[in-house]
Amino acid sequence: MDALITAAGLVFDPSVLWVIVASAAFGMFVGAMPGLTATMATALLVPVTFFMDPVPALGAIVTATAMAIFAGDIPAAMLRIPGTPASAAYTDESYAMSKKGELDLNLGVNLVFSVLGGLVGVAILIVSAPLLAEIAINFSSFEYFWLALLGLTCAIFMTTGDALKGITSLIFGLLINCIGIDPTAGYPRFTFGSIELLQGISFIPAMIGMFALSELLRGSVTVDEKGAVLAQKVGNIFTGVWAVFRKYWFNFLRGSTLGVAIGALPGAGADIAAWISFAVSKKFSKTPEKFGTGHIEGIVDSTSANNSALGGAWIPALVFGIPGDSITAIVIGVLYMKGMNPGPTVFLQNPQFIYAVFIIFILANLLMLPIGWAAIKSAKQILRVPRNVLLPIILLFCLVGAYAMTNSPYGIILMLVFGIIGWLMEENGFPIAPAILGLVLGELLEQSFMTSMIKADGNALMFFERPIAGVLGVLTVLLWGTMIWRGVMGRNATVAPT
Amino acid sequence: MRANDAVNGLILILLAVAMFAVTSTFPEFPGQPHGPALFPRVLASILIICGGLLTWRGLAARRAGERWVVLAPWTREPWRVVSFFLMLISLLVYILVGETVGFIPVAFGILLSLFLWFGVRMLTAVITAVIATLLIHWFFSTLLRVPLPRGWLDPVL
Repeated sequence: MDALITAAGLVFDPSVLWVIVASAAFGMFVGAMPGLTATMATALLVPVTFFMDPVPALGAIVTATAMAIFAGDIPAAMLRIPGTPASAAYTDESYAMSKKGELDLNLGVNLVFSVLGGLVGVAILIVSAPLLAEIAINFSSFEYFWLALLGLTCAIFMTTGDALKGITSLIFGLLINCIGIDPTAGYPRFTFGSIELLQGISFIPAMIGMFALSELLRGSVTVDEKGAVLAQKVGNIFTGVWAVFRKYWFNFLRGSTLGVAIGALPGAGADIAAWISFAVSKKFSKTPEKFGTGHIEGIVDSTSANNSALGGAWIPALVFGIPGDSITAIVIGVLYMKGMNPGPTVFLQNPQFIYAVFIIFILANLLMLPIGWAAIKSAKQILRVPRNVLLPIILLFCLVGAYAMTNSPYGIILMLVFGIIGWLMEENGFPIAPAILGLVLGELLEQSFMTSMIKADGNALMFFERPIAGVLGVLTVLLWGTMIWRGVMGRNATVAPT
Repeated sequence: MRANDAVNGLILILLAVAMFAVTSTFPEFPGQPHGPALFPRVLASILIICGGLLTWRGLAARRAGERWVVLAPWTREPWRVVSFFLMLISLLVYILVGETVGFIPVAFGILLSLFLWFGVRMLTAVITAVIATLLIHWFFSTLLRVPLPRGWLDPVL
């Protein structure tokens, strides 16, 4: 109880509230701009949050991402361009509604159900995280090893594209993480005499490079492309939303719980949650033939799901230090920098921070209603900001952000190198998120692996002896088996025609 | 720039072999078989397997008629190619001269040249570049106390 009061005191501080409102506006803008994603919003925010106390830093990230995921729905409905990948699943459906003249209802439903979905996500986070933390407190290096490996495995398993390229990307991230002083013996690896490489690859410049710079490089070659002009006027968006809720309340509940579950799986975030819940909605709908013609039902499911997934992703991040999506992967990096090592001990040592995150989550979702309404009303102006002005400014922002992490050009060099690597990876179909996950989880994985190896002293069975470790281990091995089997079958299928 | 998977696979194998070679210089500790070389070696081995599978797949695609390297359509339009490299060159310029010339002049120069190349009108470009440079400088240098290099403007600031 004391911790809760302390947390409220930390959050309801004027300067923290100011940060939350400012990052809400920032998140809305980034989310609504096609081509700028919620992950990019986080990547751009991190250098700023580096200089803040933990609570406003977390507040800024939580708020900005919640807003960005909703704001992505606005250009989806108006221009048929999703603002963030999380809105891609129902962009066509939303646009079909606008063409039918139901733009107001579509935006109203997107806004209200995003808020409600987000709140369900927080509620489940609040209930489940402390319970899981109590179990996690007894974990030894064996459990953490399996947990980290399971997290990384899920990340590959959930990538919609090429599993082999996902694994390669992950291993690449883990290898990059080996640069610097090794965690068990303290020997400098792969530093080639460089003093700056001794502390390892600085995570934030690398991440800004991979997520933001690579995106800018892609954008730079299409900078002259004009978006569609929107002619429709926005009226009262809240008319008819209540009727939709009464009719589709079950879809809302199903979408939001599914969203939390998918969000909590490492590697799968809001975008995958939206795709899956849209598919589920269509499968179980009484009127599946209406899907694709501007039908609100699937939108209710998936717009709730992508916002609730945000809360879900924080569950493994806070409890085990294993990120649920690429946003929380960045958050974990921030937590380490703030000296708050995520894991069950945070719940014991710094419960006020955990409660503060919960309060901010609720606050951010409530704030989404007025700020989202304002964003919808001013969408015309937001979408008119020319990309040829925006792109160079974001580039400068990345540059300063990377510089600020090391206070030397070394940060910018890292960002540049990783930006080019990230761009090349995407061009060749290697997903970036697993590499970042590898970079974040590498240390935990290596440390728990080495400690367990030394404890087991060559006896592999020790990895399965403790009950939870055994279950996690078997689960991981099964997942790998499925993946290899799937890979072999898939390859046969692709090679056969040639 | 999309390369055939065999090319990607080969690059990854070379990288993994090089890392493996470097790990042989890592010290061993007597009585402790699990030293600093173990984890990178495990990873490098997996990477070699992945690279091998990619190469195998790439060669199959090659036999089916895929080219070794396919360039995206925009690479045939010089304006877009310059746009792409201008972004990278801007960063390089900052890395090379940022410390001596200082943040404000270099940032202004980068913004202005990118704006003009991307087709922003002269007046808008100059005004936006000035405002954006000063705003970012104020935000990071004054508010967040990042020691952005002053360079030429040191006597003024």
